[in-house]
Amino acid sequence: MKLTIKNWTGVATWRWVANDDNCGICRMPFDGCCPDCKLPGDDCPLVWGQCSHCFHMHCIVKWLQSQPVNQQCPMCRQPWKFNNK
Amino acid sequence: MAQNFNPFVEQVPENVKQAESSKKVSNDNHAVTKRLHKELMTLMMSEDKSISAFPEGDNLFKWVGTIMGPKDTVYESLKYKLSLQFPNSYPYAAPVVKFITPCFHPNVDTSGNICLDILKEKWSALYDVRTILLSIQALLGEPNTRSPLNTTAADKWKKKEEYKKLVLESYKEV
Repeated sequence: MKLTIKNWTGVATWRWVANDDNCGICRMPFDGCCPDCKLPGDDCPLVWGQCSHCFHMHCIVKWLQSQPVNQQCPMCRQPWKFNNK
Repeated sequence: MAQNFNPFVEQVPENVKQAESSKKVSNDNHAVTKRLHKELMTLMMSEDKSISAFPEGDNLFKWVGTIMGPKDTVYESLKYKLSLQFPNSYPYAAPVVKFITPCFHPNVDTSGNICLDILKEKWSALYDVRTILLSIQALLGEPNTRSPLNTTAADKWKKKEEYKKLVLESYKEV
């Protein structure tokens, strides 16, 4: 028997690879987005600090902006540095 | 796209712009109510009966919390009510927490104001109602007598019998 495929639709799923399920700052799932965004994905990415803690980028940026001095990780209080791995 | 990057260094101006504009949007309180709803759910499912909290009336930004005095302290079996007022910038700023029930304690003044570092300079966006109440509960049994708001309480802390009498005298259930 010979089949001819006329057309096909690819389906893919994705998820962030984080060591936790929820963002500690907003408490929303990492696979969702921060409360200020509508859609999860590249527009609401996750970021890691050098201390290995992970947050929605929008959440940690807001936290750092609310700390005029001593920008620390809200989890471990080490100075916050983005981990450019 | 790589999962991780420094928004301040790499080429992602759009995302940063979004983060900045979302900061302005936070006036509508949507993100705050969302988080407070989540916290309420967690608290209601919690097994810990020694602390509880619930919004006062329809206002999700004002809660009343309850803590039981910790076991084996002079506060044991006393029930304390507290008010929690959340700012629009919560959890980036701490709520204002006060004792409603009169509390004789080195770090609580006569108006119910509490001197606790995590509610001031040591605040973190990861704290929540549960951890705040647990911290205040722990503070009852372990006061910081070096920077007291109530100096009488700080002076008497070492004299357990006398101290307990003053705690019970000022206690009034509300």
